[in-house]
Amino acid sequence: MNNAIEVENLTKYYDKFLAVDHVNFTVKQGEIFGFLGPNGAGKTTTQRMLTTLLTPTEGRILINGHDLARDSYPAKQQIGLVPEESNVYTELTAWDNLMFTASIYRVPRGERAKRAQELLETFGLWEKRAIKAENFSKGMRRRLSIAMAIIHKPSLLFLDEPTPGLDTQSIRAIWKLIRSMNAEGTTVFVTTHQIEEANQLCDRVAIISHGKIAAIDTPERLKANFRRAQSVEVAFEGEMAEKSPGLESMPGVTTQVKVGDKLRLYTDDPSALLPRIVQYAESHALRIVSLNTLGPSLEDVFLEITGGQVGIVTNEIQENNPRRKGMGGRK
Amino acid sequence: MNIERIKNELAQAWTVAVKDVRVYYLRPGMIMFGFAMPFFMFFSFSVQREMGAAEGVARLLAMTVFFTAGAAGPFIIPTERRIGTYDRLLAAPMSLMTLLLGKTAVGTIFAVAVSGVALLAGLLFFGTTILQPGLLAAGILLGAFSFSTLGLVFGSMPTTNPGDVQMPSTLLRWGLLFISGVFIPLGEMAPAARAIAYLSPLTYAQDVMNHAVLGKGLINPWLDLAVLALSGALFLWPSIKMHQRARVLGR
Repeated sequence: MNNAIEVENLTKYYDKFLAVDHVNFTVKQGEIFGFLGPNGAGKTTTQRMLTTLLTPTEGRILINGHDLARDSYPAKQQIGLVPEESNVYTELTAWDNLMFTASIYRVPRGERAKRAQELLETFGLWEKRAIKAENFSKGMRRRLSIAMAIIHKPSLLFLDEPTPGLDTQSIRAIWKLIRSMNAEGTTVFVTTHQIEEANQLCDRVAIISHGKIAAIDTPERLKANFRRAQSVEVAFEGEMAEKSPGLESMPGVTTQVKVGDKLRLYTDDPSALLPRIVQYAESHALRIVSLNTLGPSLEDVFLEITGGQVGIVTNEIQENNPRRKGMGGRK
Repeated sequence: MNIERIKNELAQAWTVAVKDVRVYYLRPGMIMFGFAMPFFMFFSFSVQREMGAAEGVARLLAMTVFFTAGAAGPFIIPTERRIGTYDRLLAAPMSLMTLLLGKTAVGTIFAVAVSGVALLAGLLFFGTTILQPGLLAAGILLGAFSFSTLGLVFGSMPTTNPGDVQMPSTLLRWGLLFISGVFIPLGEMAPAARAIAYLSPLTYAQDVMNHAVLGKGLINPWLDLAVLALSGALFLWPSIKMHQRARVLGR
């Protein structure tokens, strides 16, 4: 399989600040590739270099085999870009925004209206096609921005933080669209700091930290490499926190975290810990409401790699944990 | 570059221009700096001065072309950088020159339209006769091109705040206004002042308007037109360099 993106030794200095530090990676054609990292890690800088908006200090970028430094024109024809801000022309209607983009990308004149209609219908904007985008909600502008990025049917789509601030319905609609485009052969490069997004969407994930690629693999293989982030989650009936002293010091438990009305006990060996917890409940006359073993989440991997420590994450972050929503990660 | 690519690039430049016309012409920044300013300046410096109607119309036309054409670049590009729409254009499959030509066309069209209003006012209210309409049309067009690309130089400064650009741009334009034979005719200037005036493209625009409206000027009208065309092309160079610099700086 050919590579949609090849990055060799990519480096970017802003004056003396090293934002991207000799990065190497490839993205295969037809892949959904997640570029994951905390704020300021170098994600957007990398993506801006890949989309010709920023000149690298050093290194080489090939897009579908075309060297961006030598001739970016054929590469630009094959790229669709959805930046972090929904950069639609608010003074124009949804229809005019699409017509403008279609014209800039030289979509054949006879196909422009057909494609615009298809996209507006897909994104639920057809009824609002004659309304200026200044009257659109954030979610509607986002959908329009994505429609504008794909009207020329790019073979490679870049999305920079596609869903922050959107309602669940809009997020699901965008994920569905990304999957559908990918199924039709579009390579997708998603920059995100939303771990669940990467976990749900991506075939492979690169985690960037301090300008360097810290890890790159499939989400499941990344998780598998972090056995120490396995845990057992237990909920007791009643005021569990007050009635379960000593769990933390139980053999095999590395860290204990309160997660809502449950306790999460991190361990290298969940199967050995389970009977101990049951025994503990019996000896303390506690009734177990739920007892689950959890594999390491992508969030655990991310925190471990980017310098956060597993087990001291806040409840707020835990609220976003995919495993708590029953969306994967549970063993 | 093959013929098909050139056709595409020209169509893209036109698309950019038409979009900007629709989006920005009625914005307060454009109306203030592009439409109102030349008329304010004209009346401020021309009322109660001994000046014939034809001379006034020639001056008004030069000022209109100068201010209006130069208003677009410093307003539109930083505004688009701020709201992120400029990235869409930079990432599109067209050359930087195409994008800049599209932006140049916006100021040029604006200037031609507003100077048409000024010309109409001159014809209707002052009863002015245009002695060389062809020369006037060429002067307005090439003057608009030159001043539009001059405005683009400021618009290309790597900033996202139109205010950062409009201040130096306005300062330069006001400076040029006073050294370019608009308020003090070129023939009445001291030799040193006249030597400086020859460095300003506005001098040539005013001179070509004088030829077209008054039938007299100090410079050969063909030279006037050539300087306007050449300066317009030369002003694209710093714009390209500043865009390349912006890509390095990440702005």
